[in-house]
Amino acid sequence: MDMETTVNKIKAYASKTPSRWREEAEFRIGNKTWLRYSQTVAMKMLDRMEELGLTQKMLAEKMGCSQQYISKILKGKENLSLETLFKIEKVLNLKFINEPEFV
Amino acid sequence: MYICHKNLCMTFDNITEDGRLWAVRYDGEVDNALYIILDRWNDVRWLRTFFKNNFNDLVSHFKITDINQAINDTLDDAERLQYLIMDISSEADLDELFRHLEPSRMKEVLLGKEKAKIKNRRQHASWLRIYAIKLSQGIYIITGGAIKLTAAMQERQHTLEELTKMEMVRNFLLDESIVDSDGFEDYLRELK
Repeated sequence: MDMETTVNKIKAYASKTPSRWREEAEFRIGNKTWLRYSQTVAMKMLDRMEELGLTQKMLAEKMGCSQQYISKILKGKENLSLETLFKIEKVLNLKFINEPEFV
Repeated sequence: MYICHKNLCMTFDNITEDGRLWAVRYDGEVDNALYIILDRWNDVRWLRTFFKNNFNDLVSHFKITDINQAINDTLDDAERLQYLIMDISSEADLDELFRHLEPSRMKEVLLGKEKAKIKNRRQHASWLRIYAIKLSQGIYIITGGAIKLTAAMQERQHTLEELTKMEMVRNFLLDESIVDSDGFEDYLRELK
Protein backbone atom coordinates (compact mmCIF):
# COMPACT_ATOMS: atom_id res chain seq x y z
CA MET A 1 0.00 0.00 0.00
CA ASP A 2 1.61 3.30 -1.03
CA MET A 3 1.25 6.52 0.94
CA GLU A 4 -1.66 7.79 -1.14
CA THR A 5 -3.60 4.55 -0.72
CA THR A 6 -2.98 4.59 3.03
CA VAL A 7 -4.17 8.20 3.27
CA ASN A 8 -7.28 7.42 1.19
CA LYS A 9 -8.09 4.47 3.43
CA ILE A 10 -7.96 6.54 6.59
CA LYS A 11 -9.95 9.32 4.90
CA ALA A 12 -12.86 6.87 4.74
CA TYR A 13 -13.01 7.09 8.53
CA ALA A 14 -12.81 10.89 8.73
CA SER A 15 -15.00 12.70 11.26
CA LYS A 16 -18.23 14.18 9.91
CA THR A 17 -17.85 17.51 11.66
CA PRO A 18 -14.70 19.65 11.43
CA SER A 19 -12.33 19.82 14.38
CA ARG A 20 -11.93 23.13 16.19
CA TRP A 21 -8.32 22.43 17.24
CA ARG A 22 -6.71 24.86 14.75
CA GLU A 23 -9.24 27.60 15.49
CA GLU A 24 -8.52 27.26 19.22
CA ALA A 25 -4.75 27.14 18.67
CA GLU A 26 -4.90 30.29 16.50
CA PHE A 27 -6.96 32.00 19.20
CA ARG A 28 -4.35 31.12 21.84
CA ILE A 29 -1.56 32.43 19.62
CA GLY A 30 -3.40 35.62 18.64
CA ASN A 31 -4.34 36.42 22.24
CA LYS A 32 -1.33 35.01 24.09
CA THR A 33 -0.41 38.23 25.92
CA TRP A 34 -3.68 38.74 27.79
CA LEU A 35 -4.30 34.99 28.07
CA ARG A 36 -1.07 34.62 30.04
CA TYR A 37 -2.19 37.46 32.29
CA SER A 38 -5.57 35.76 32.75
CA GLN A 39 -3.77 32.49 33.64
CA THR A 40 -1.65 34.29 36.25
CA VAL A 41 -4.78 35.82 37.77
CA ALA A 42 -6.36 32.34 37.93
CA MET A 43 -3.29 30.92 39.69
CA LYS A 44 -3.32 33.69 42.32
CA MET A 45 -7.07 33.28 42.82
CA LEU A 46 -6.78 29.52 43.32
CA ASP A 47 -3.96 30.02 45.84
CA ARG A 48 -6.02 32.52 47.82
CA MET A 49 -9.22 30.45 47.61
CA GLU A 50 -7.32 27.52 49.10
CA GLU A 51 -5.94 29.72 51.89
CA LEU A 52 -9.42 31.02 52.71
CA GLY A 53 -11.16 27.67 52.24
CA LEU A 54 -13.45 29.13 49.56
CA THR A 55 -15.25 26.96 47.01
CA GLN A 56 -16.19 28.19 43.55
CA LYS A 57 -19.81 28.39 44.70
CA MET A 58 -18.91 30.53 47.70
CA LEU A 59 -16.77 32.83 45.56
CA ALA A 60 -19.57 33.16 43.00
CA GLU A 61 -21.95 34.25 45.77
CA LYS A 62 -19.48 36.79 47.15
CA MET A 63 -18.85 38.24 43.69
CA GLY A 64 -22.50 38.18 42.65
CA CYS A 65 -21.94 36.11 39.53
CA SER A 66 -22.62 32.55 38.36
CA GLN A 67 -20.49 29.56 39.32
CA GLN A 68 -20.06 28.85 35.61
CA TYR A 69 -18.42 32.24 35.16
CA ILE A 70 -16.06 31.61 38.10
CA SER A 71 -15.18 28.27 36.51
CA LYS A 72 -14.24 30.03 33.25
CA ILE A 73 -12.12 32.59 35.12
CA LEU A 74 -10.26 29.83 37.01
CA LYS A 75 -9.38 28.07 33.75
CA GLY A 76 -7.44 31.22 32.85
CA LYS A 77 -9.22 31.71 29.55
CA GLU A 78 -11.40 34.71 30.35
CA ASN A 79 -10.74 38.22 29.05
CA LEU A 80 -11.43 39.92 32.37
CA SER A 81 -12.98 43.36 32.52
CA LEU A 82 -11.67 45.99 34.94
CA GLU A 83 -14.94 45.64 36.84
CA THR A 84 -14.41 41.90 37.32
CA LEU A 85 -10.75 42.36 38.28
CA PHE A 86 -11.81 44.95 40.86
CA LYS A 87 -14.39 42.52 42.32
CA ILE A 88 -11.79 39.73 42.52
CA GLU A 89 -9.32 42.07 44.23
CA LYS A 90 -11.94 43.18 46.75
CA VAL A 91 -13.38 39.74 47.58
CA LEU A 92 -10.04 37.89 47.78
CA ASN A 93 -7.99 40.81 49.06
CA LEU A 94 -5.57 40.59 46.15
CA LYS A 95 -3.87 43.37 44.19
CA PHE A 96 -3.39 42.95 40.43
CA ILE A 97 -3.33 46.53 39.21
CA ASN A 98 -1.66 49.54 40.77
CA GLU A 99 -3.80 52.66 40.67
CA PRO A 100 -2.60 54.99 37.91
CA GLU A 101 -0.81 58.13 38.93
CA PHE A 102 -2.12 61.28 37.30
CA VAL A 103 0.29 64.16 36.80
CA MET B 1 -17.71 6.55 8.57
CA TYR B 2 -18.11 5.97 12.31
CA ILE B 3 -16.46 2.85 13.60
CA CYS B 4 -16.47 0.92 16.84
CA HIS B 5 -13.86 -1.59 17.87
CA LYS B 6 -14.46 -3.64 21.00
CA ASN B 7 -16.79 -0.96 22.41
CA LEU B 8 -14.35 1.82 21.46
CA CYS B 9 -15.83 4.12 18.82
CA MET B 10 -13.71 6.58 16.92
CA THR B 11 -13.26 8.68 13.80
CA PHE B 12 -10.14 10.45 12.53
CA ASP B 13 -9.43 14.16 11.99
CA ASN B 14 -6.96 15.38 9.41
CA ILE B 15 -4.51 17.70 11.19
CA THR B 16 -2.14 18.74 8.40
CA GLU B 17 -4.52 18.80 5.41
CA ASP B 18 -2.06 16.71 3.36
CA GLY B 19 -3.09 13.58 5.26
CA ARG B 20 0.23 12.94 6.99
CA LEU B 21 -0.90 13.75 10.52
CA TRP B 22 -4.22 12.63 11.97
CA ALA B 23 -5.83 12.66 15.41
CA VAL B 24 -8.32 10.20 16.84
CA ARG B 25 -11.72 11.54 17.87
CA TYR B 26 -13.07 9.15 20.50
CA ASP B 27 -16.78 8.61 21.03
CA GLY B 28 -18.26 11.02 23.56
CA GLU B 29 -15.39 13.51 23.39
CA VAL B 30 -15.98 17.12 22.32
CA ASP B 31 -13.20 16.98 19.75
CA ASN B 32 -10.09 15.01 18.80
CA ALA B 33 -7.20 13.91 21.02
CA LEU B 34 -4.98 16.85 19.97
CA TYR B 35 -7.69 19.41 20.79
CA ILE B 36 -8.26 17.83 24.20
CA ILE B 37 -4.63 17.70 25.31
CA LEU B 38 -3.90 21.27 24.18
CA ASP B 39 -7.07 22.45 25.93
CA ARG B 40 -6.09 20.70 29.19
CA TRP B 41 -2.50 21.91 29.03
CA ASN B 42 -3.80 25.50 28.84
CA ASP B 43 -6.35 25.12 31.64
CA VAL B 44 -4.95 26.47 34.91
CA ARG B 45 -7.55 24.78 37.15
CA TRP B 46 -7.08 21.39 35.45
CA LEU B 47 -3.28 21.68 35.71
CA ARG B 48 -3.42 22.67 39.38
CA THR B 49 -5.60 19.64 40.20
CA PHE B 50 -3.28 17.37 38.21
CA PHE B 51 -0.10 18.60 39.93
CA LYS B 52 -1.74 18.47 43.37
CA ASN B 53 -2.70 14.85 42.71
CA ASN B 54 0.80 14.02 41.44
CA PHE B 55 2.78 16.26 43.79
CA ASN B 56 5.06 13.50 45.08
CA ASP B 57 6.18 12.65 41.52
CA LEU B 58 6.81 16.32 40.78
CA VAL B 59 9.04 16.63 43.84
CA SER B 60 10.87 13.31 43.59
CA HIS B 61 11.49 13.27 39.83
CA PHE B 62 11.81 17.01 39.06
CA LYS B 63 12.63 18.58 42.46
CA ILE B 64 9.82 21.09 41.95
CA THR B 65 7.76 22.02 44.99
CA ASP B 66 5.96 25.07 43.60
CA ILE B 67 2.72 24.06 41.84
CA ASN B 68 2.51 27.42 40.03
CA GLN B 69 5.99 26.90 38.59
CA ALA B 70 4.86 23.51 37.29
CA ILE B 71 1.78 25.15 35.75
CA ASN B 72 3.85 27.91 34.12
CA ASP B 73 6.35 25.39 32.73
CA THR B 74 3.47 23.37 31.28
CA LEU B 75 1.93 26.46 29.68
CA ASP B 76 5.31 27.30 28.10
CA ASP B 77 5.86 23.77 26.76
CA ALA B 78 2.27 23.45 25.52
CA GLU B 79 2.77 26.63 23.53
CA ARG B 80 5.96 25.29 21.97
CA LEU B 81 4.33 21.97 21.10
CA GLN B 82 1.37 23.81 19.61
CA TYR B 83 3.72 25.86 17.39
CA LEU B 84 5.53 22.67 16.35
CA ILE B 85 2.28 21.08 15.15
CA MET B 86 0.92 24.25 13.54
CA ASP B 87 4.15 24.95 11.69
CA ILE B 88 4.39 21.52 10.03
CA SER B 89 4.97 22.32 6.37
CA SER B 90 4.46 20.00 3.40
CA GLU B 91 8.25 19.48 3.32
CA ALA B 92 8.57 18.75 7.04
CA ASP B 93 9.64 15.24 8.00
CA LEU B 94 7.30 13.93 10.68
CA ASP B 95 9.76 11.13 11.40
CA GLU B 96 11.92 13.88 12.95
CA LEU B 97 9.09 14.97 15.26
CA PHE B 98 8.08 11.51 16.49
CA ARG B 99 10.34 8.96 18.16
CA HIS B 100 9.81 5.32 19.15
CA LEU B 101 7.97 5.04 22.45
CA GLU B 102 10.51 2.50 23.62
CA PRO B 103 14.00 3.99 23.03
CA SER B 104 15.43 0.45 23.00
CA ARG B 105 13.43 -0.43 19.88
CA MET B 106 15.93 -0.19 17.03
CA LYS B 107 13.83 -1.33 14.08
CA GLU B 108 10.48 -0.35 12.66
CA VAL B 109 7.47 -2.42 13.67
CA LEU B 110 4.03 -2.50 12.11
CA LEU B 111 1.94 0.38 13.50
CA GLY B 112 4.63 1.32 15.98
CA LYS B 113 3.87 3.31 19.12
CA GLU B 114 5.53 6.72 18.98
CA LYS B 115 5.92 9.87 21.05
CA ALA B 116 6.67 13.54 20.44
CA LYS B 117 8.19 15.86 23.02
CA ILE B 118 10.08 19.11 23.26
CA LYS B 119 13.84 18.84 23.17
CA ASN B 120 16.44 21.10 24.75
CA ARG B 121 14.22 22.53 27.44
CA ARG B 122 15.99 24.64 30.06
CA GLN B 123 15.96 23.76 33.78
CA HIS B 124 14.32 20.35 33.41
CA ALA B 125 13.21 17.93 30.72
CA SER B 126 9.73 18.54 29.38
CA TRP B 127 7.06 16.26 30.86
CA LEU B 128 4.59 16.77 28.03
CA ARG B 129 4.12 13.87 25.62
CA ILE B 130 2.03 13.50 22.48
CA TYR B 131 1.41 9.84 21.68
CA ALA B 132 0.79 8.48 18.20
CA ILE B 133 0.68 5.38 16.05
CA LYS B 134 2.95 5.37 13.01
CA LEU B 135 0.73 4.34 10.12
CA SER B 136 3.58 4.20 7.61
CA GLN B 137 6.68 6.21 6.74
CA GLY B 138 5.88 9.86 7.58
CA ILE B 139 2.20 9.25 8.47
CA TYR B 140 1.05 9.38 12.09
CA ILE B 141 -2.21 9.22 14.07
CA ILE B 142 -2.26 11.06 17.42
CA THR B 143 -4.00 8.91 20.02
CA GLY B 144 -3.56 11.18 23.06
CA GLY B 145 -1.05 12.82 25.31
CA ALA B 146 -0.02 13.07 28.92
CA ILE B 147 2.03 14.82 31.55
CA LYS B 148 4.59 12.13 32.24
CA LEU B 149 6.37 12.61 35.56
CA THR B 150 7.60 9.06 36.11
CA ALA B 151 10.18 6.98 34.26
CA ALA B 152 7.76 4.34 32.97
CA MET B 153 4.24 4.83 31.65
CA GLN B 154 3.08 1.74 33.52
CA GLU B 155 3.77 3.42 36.87
CA ARG B 156 0.75 5.74 36.85
CA GLN B 157 -2.87 5.25 35.89
CA HIS B 158 -3.12 8.28 33.56
CA THR B 159 -0.10 7.22 31.47
CA LEU B 160 -1.15 3.58 31.55
CA GLU B 161 -4.46 4.67 30.03
CA GLU B 162 -2.55 6.29 27.16
CA LEU B 163 -0.80 2.97 26.49
CA THR B 164 -4.19 1.23 26.46
CA LYS B 165 -5.59 3.81 24.01
CA MET B 166 -2.61 3.31 21.70
CA GLU B 167 -3.12 -0.45 21.78
CA MET B 168 -6.84 -0.13 21.03
CA VAL B 169 -6.27 2.20 18.07
CA ARG B 170 -3.50 -0.09 16.82
CA ASN B 171 -5.82 -3.11 17.01
CA PHE B 172 -8.52 -1.21 15.16
CA LEU B 173 -6.12 -0.25 12.36
CA LEU B 174 -4.96 -3.87 12.08
CA ASP B 175 -8.53 -5.21 11.98
CA GLU B 176 -9.51 -2.69 9.30
CA SER B 177 -6.29 -3.39 7.34
CA ILE B 178 -5.29 0.27 7.44
CA VAL B 179 -1.63 -0.65 7.31
CA ASP B 180 1.38 -0.25 5.10
CA SER B 181 1.65 -3.33 2.85
CA ASP B 182 5.39 -3.84 3.30
CA GLY B 183 5.04 -3.52 7.04
CA PHE B 184 2.12 -5.92 7.05
CA GLU B 185 4.13 -8.58 5.19
CA ASP B 186 6.93 -8.22 7.76
CA TYR B 187 4.35 -8.52 10.53
CA LEU B 188 2.93 -11.75 9.05
CA ARG B 189 6.44 -13.18 8.66
CA GLU B 190 7.14 -12.45 12.34
CA LEU B 191 3.92 -14.21 13.38
CA LYS B 192 4.98 -17.43 11.58
